[in-house]
Amino acid sequence: MRNPSINVAVRSRTRKLAAASVAATASLLVAACGSASSTSSSTTVPSSGSSGTTAASSANSGGTYLVGVPIAETGPNAQAGTEIFDAEKLAADQINANGGVLGHKIVLNEQDDACTAQTSVAAANKLVSLGVKAVVGGYCSGASLPAEPIYSRAGIPNILAAPNSSALVQGGDKSVFLMDPTSSLQAQEAAKFFANVLHSKKVQVVDDQSAFGVNVADLVQSNLKTLGVPTASIQAVPATQTDFSALINTIKSNGATAVYFAGYYAEWGLIVKQMRAAQVTIPLVGADGSVDPAFITTAGTAANGTYFTIARTTQFLQGSAATAFTNQYKSTFGSTPGPYSAYGYDGMNTLAAAIKQANSLNPAKVISALHSINTTGLTGSISFASDGARQGASFVVLKVVDGNFALAPVQP
Amino acid sequence: MNLIPDIGAGIFLGAFFGLIALGYSMVYGVLKLINFAHGDFYMVASYVSYSIFAVVVVGHQTGWLTILWVGLVTMFAGGLLSVASEQIVYRRMRGRPMLSLMIAALGVSEVLENSVLNIPAWGPQYRAYSVSFPSTGFNVDGSHYSWLQLAIVIVTFALTAIVYLIVHRTMLGKAMRAVAEDRVAAALLGVNVDRVISAVFFMGGALAGAAALLGGLYYGQINYLMGFTIGLEAFTAAVLGGIGNILGAVLGGFVLGILQNVGTGLVGSQWALVFSFGALVLMLWLKPTGLLGERVGQRM
Repeated sequence: MRNPSINVAVRSRTRKLAAASVAATASLLVAACGSASSTSSSTTVPSSGSSGTTAASSANSGGTYLVGVPIAETGPNAQAGTEIFDAEKLAADQINANGGVLGHKIVLNEQDDACTAQTSVAAANKLVSLGVKAVVGGYCSGASLPAEPIYSRAGIPNILAAPNSSALVQGGDKSVFLMDPTSSLQAQEAAKFFANVLHSKKVQVVDDQSAFGVNVADLVQSNLKTLGVPTASIQAVPATQTDFSALINTIKSNGATAVYFAGYYAEWGLIVKQMRAAQVTIPLVGADGSVDPAFITTAGTAANGTYFTIARTTQFLQGSAATAFTNQYKSTFGSTPGPYSAYGYDGMNTLAAAIKQANSLNPAKVISALHSINTTGLTGSISFASDGARQGASFVVLKVVDGNFALAPVQP
Repeated sequence: MNLIPDIGAGIFLGAFFGLIALGYSMVYGVLKLINFAHGDFYMVASYVSYSIFAVVVVGHQTGWLTILWVGLVTMFAGGLLSVASEQIVYRRMRGRPMLSLMIAALGVSEVLENSVLNIPAWGPQYRAYSVSFPSTGFNVDGSHYSWLQLAIVIVTFALTAIVYLIVHRTMLGKAMRAVAEDRVAAALLGVNVDRVISAVFFMGGALAGAAALLGGLYYGQINYLMGFTIGLEAFTAAVLGGIGNILGAVLGGFVLGILQNVGTGLVGSQWALVFSFGALVLMLWLKPTGLLGERVGQRM
């Protein structure tokens, strides 16, 4: 009865699996995504497809190497998608300026996946029929998951910039690689934070009943048990709920001294606001899906002092390379890079590194090179587990200070 | 187990449900139409008051007087929208099979949701109200309630009393009851049926508008799809209390609010909806007319 299409259409960090579970309210889904899916192709790529050149600054004598970028370009996630794509363009331009990949110039062809399953599948088929040699993109797990088998069948490497649902690497697909570390790492960091930094006596884990939320909540709960931190039984709040007084009463009566919320910013903003209004002052920690400026506008001053676990996003990267990237991005596109821009940038460079290592443009050889790659990017050292999950990237804890997300002073 | 805080929270949530259920129930009373677009009147009215606060009131002190005039404007907007839907859609379809009308109501709902989606200043994002209330208030049994929560309950009682008095003590109300009972006979006796039905829609929409303002002030977050959920909950409250019955709608709101909260306390939040809607099914089985339901033909 609740309307799960909100998961797909509205949450800005719907990189998860919500899309897979919405068949029930198909009409509302169509309503929610109608505007998003109406323009499927991008504006920068001509309809002739492979001749579209978005990263053609420096010509090279050799041929071209076509890379597909399935990304959200319309709908509520359009901004995040564009920020990833722009970073990939920047990376491709730099690679081309340095001679391209084995003398071939990288040419990008982006297709809108609108962060929905249907559009994403259409985009994947389009890219495969255009003959792309590799794919680097993606923002929403829910959109990337159904497209995965299409790239897998085509036998091309599928590097995902932001999606991080562990379901993406559980299908046994050997050609998928995640740049963004999966939820299991997030859960470990969260549990360590409760145990070592907050010294919590009893933790209440809450999820939003989305595939992403339930997955993270279960992982956090089991990690807490491993570390010997007492927990209350997991509570779940349906997406679209606005009144959380019952949950707050439960937390007050079960003696929890800290709360972890695995879900998105819309509910978490309301929960935090109502929790503080009810004069519950225990530490509150949210998952990465809740990191959004809209959380702060909803929760208001109650947002201050709350914590979040999140993969090191662009603004929290350290080092001269990251600074150089941010400056370059600003001067090229006139805006600051988005949270996952660095993951798109690293994805493109990782592909180039794999081609170099394979010394071949052959997709199968590039895939096997990616499995053994060991390189360094903006987001840390880059290698992949055998299932394609990112190794080397780290999670951090953020704290809201004066209405802004900042690195928490004490990290787990 | 903490029954008293759960009931306290349930009363507050129930008042909110009740206000919306009231409009649902009134329209059902005169037209026997389950107006699925009613939740969306609430949603659009929320956006209206959101915009007033964001554009007009910005920079001003949000005292009770400001709340009052914004509330009246929001109620008027909700009422106008409701009347417009009646005059543009439902009036033309009067006399058609009820199924056609209900599907038309779903259509109105989709039109409103997608219109809000496509208005740039509103759009698909979650929007937060620019005003918020301090959480000062009072404590009962260790639980804190804000003055705003109390105000929501009081406003619900006041508006219910006004609606009750209009329906039972005025000529217009008498006409409404006559139209509800027998439209043709009422017309033969000189009642302007169209005007009476419009008045009912206006009152229902205005109540949704009042709920929109209160919900906006308390929860502070709105979204173009929220009317669907709240509409369904209000509909459930109306059925619980006995659809078509004014006091029943509000009573049903309180019962649903308390059931949801107590259910969470008893069986955990995952099962709260199973608990409250299980109770609804039980209710429909044991007493299909609802708590205060009367036999068909004598409602309102």
